[in-house]
Amino acid sequence: MRGRFRALCLSGLLACAAAAAAQPRVAVDGEGLSPAELAASRDLVAAATSRLPPRLAAGLDREVVLRWRDDLPERVHGRTRNGRIGLDRRLLAGWMARDRADDHDPRARAALAALLHELAHVLDRSPAGGLSRDPRLLDLAGWPVRPLRLGLRTGRNDFRDRSPDPYELASPAEFLAVNLEHFLLDPAYACRRPALHRHFVARLGAPRLPEVDCDDALPLVAAGEAGAGLQLLALDPARVAGVDYLLAEPDASPMSRWGHGMLRLVVCAPGRAPGPDCRLDLEHHLVLSFRAFVDDLQVSNWRGLTGGYPSRLFVLPLAQVVDEYTRIELRGLRSVPLRLGPDQVARLLERAARVHWSYDGRYRFVTSNCAVEAWKLLNDALPGLDGQRMRSITPTGLLRRLERAGIADASVFGDEAEALRLGHRFDSLARHFGQMYAVASAELALPARNADAWLRLDPAVRGEWLVRGGLRATAALLVLEEAALRQEQARARETLRRRYRRDGEGDGTVEALLQALWSDGAGAGRPAVLLPGPGYGLPQEAERELLATRVAEVDARLRAAHAGLYETALAWLPERQRRRLRDAEGNLERIGERLRALAAEAPD
Amino acid sequence: MKRLLLAAALLACTAPAWAGSFAGTTGGATSAGTSASSGSSSGDDKVVLAARDDAALFVASDGAIRGARLEAALRQLREHDAAARGASDLDLARAILAR
Repeated sequence: MRGRFRALCLSGLLACAAAAAAQPRVAVDGEGLSPAELAASRDLVAAATSRLPPRLAAGLDREVVLRWRDDLPERVHGRTRNGRIGLDRRLLAGWMARDRADDHDPRARAALAALLHELAHVLDRSPAGGLSRDPRLLDLAGWPVRPLRLGLRTGRNDFRDRSPDPYELASPAEFLAVNLEHFLLDPAYACRRPALHRHFVARLGAPRLPEVDCDDALPLVAAGEAGAGLQLLALDPARVAGVDYLLAEPDASPMSRWGHGMLRLVVCAPGRAPGPDCRLDLEHHLVLSFRAFVDDLQVSNWRGLTGGYPSRLFVLPLAQVVDEYTRIELRGLRSVPLRLGPDQVARLLERAARVHWSYDGRYRFVTSNCAVEAWKLLNDALPGLDGQRMRSITPTGLLRRLERAGIADASVFGDEAEALRLGHRFDSLARHFGQMYAVASAELALPARNADAWLRLDPAVRGEWLVRGGLRATAALLVLEEAALRQEQARARETLRRRYRRDGEGDGTVEALLQALWSDGAGAGRPAVLLPGPGYGLPQEAERELLATRVAEVDARLRAAHAGLYETALAWLPERQRRRLRDAEGNLERIGERLRALAAEAPD
Repeated sequence: MKRLLLAAALLACTAPAWAGSFAGTTGGATSAGTSASSGSSSGDDKVVLAARDDAALFVASDGAIRGARLEAALRQLREHDAAARGASDLDLARAILAR
């Protein structure tokens, strides 16, 4: 290609215009250049313009002049004003010293990238340009429309992690220029930033690069099972039968009076063809949940309102989310299927992966909460949804609008029992306390007025009644006893929290320590910290291997930390509370054994 | 040292990504009186173990409360065990509680 260009070069200052009128005209300002430097400059121009896909080249219809400069500020490689591109002269020296046999010579690449970057600016500023003002690009890039601001976009881009060049975050124009460099020079761009790659191909044509096969499976760092650690997942979008909007129902506490909105991925068990049967593959389902990465012992409304907390996308096993809400927080969950086709699901997951690996946002309870983030995810992934009319700043409001737009399918709740059976509803366990207590007291003369009073009794008192009932009563008491243990644990946490506040007051060392410990856990919400290095966007093959090692290391550390902690925490509790906790645990063991024995007997 | 341990304990109890509970750290008695940890059980067992709470609700309510985890476990048992195919839901729920 380069040879053909050279053959067509005109003499004089107008260095290199290709035969077709659509080819961009980039002249080299030869002043102060040796003949060898001038020739090398023309080579560079030819090499750069040969990389341009036809529509991009056609957009560069004005003549531009390339001039080598040695007066640019430090770290500025180039600058373009009024159709004049100035590039750092050292880039020319690097270009001339390049190893022509090496396609990946960094000196050659730096010079090419710098010139393409400036050509991107020229194109963007041309009448045919305006690429960096394209709303779709701004959505993809990370300058979303702000809620409550009449359609104004944010001034800051929070997709900071795994950036190819932090300069891309400076402005949409720089984002465009930096990304076009990679789009035109890096075959892996298609795999690392697939949505942006498609966007540029649709507008500019395909880059003249070898095609690469991208791994369809998306790497995700998820919270580990059984409540500790981390795990590395490779999620193949083709294995995801559908996506639900998962709403944790509101309760009275100030942080959750609007509920919490999440997305549930209906991942099929290995070997099962994607379809409705995957609904019950619960142990494979995942939840995408935007949360403030903050331990709740320090939650301050004020910091939440002003954006003091990082907002991160967590990937969690569904089982963990169900336990957390229905058994610990005693809130119900509703899982509403979204009417999305397989392509839309794939786009949504691709976007989620970009957010997962790159987003480091600020959490604000009003304008950047879980509902806003979930909406952004849907809107940015699926422009066809016409997201603007569904925007809401509350999780319940978002659900209502998704329903009204015909995207969320609330018909699954028509039959309550069926909704429960198929996992569209997960009831708060508290909903059943009354009935369980009635079942048990029909058989046993239990010493409490109702379920609440029963749960508040001293565990030692309850313990006397636990091994006297038949199968049904014992099953009911098991449900209650488990709830009782959870309540003891919640009280223990509250005690520890108060002690921490009191003892930790005015002492920065605890804060610092917490920070250090959190940094390991941070991998769950900000996986990029696990993969330092030059790679950008979605981690590719070699990075995935390294990632697997790193995740295993952090997982082992977190599990080891967990292992001894319970005993340590117990030692900090007042004697009476410690005993109650121990007794409740003992109760649960005993009732579990009795139930096992009763259930194993032959049915009557 | 105490500070360190307390901070670590709080980390374990309150980390939002890790179930926000003591429950994961007790070693035993984590799920409805089961002693097996899910980490060491096979995929099939996991589904059945996870259904223990739901099975208790089902048995106690005489079949009225039928949650998705029980439904998944019933399907699992019937897919993999010929004898389970002929058994009633209540029998299978009892069998889950007997594990």
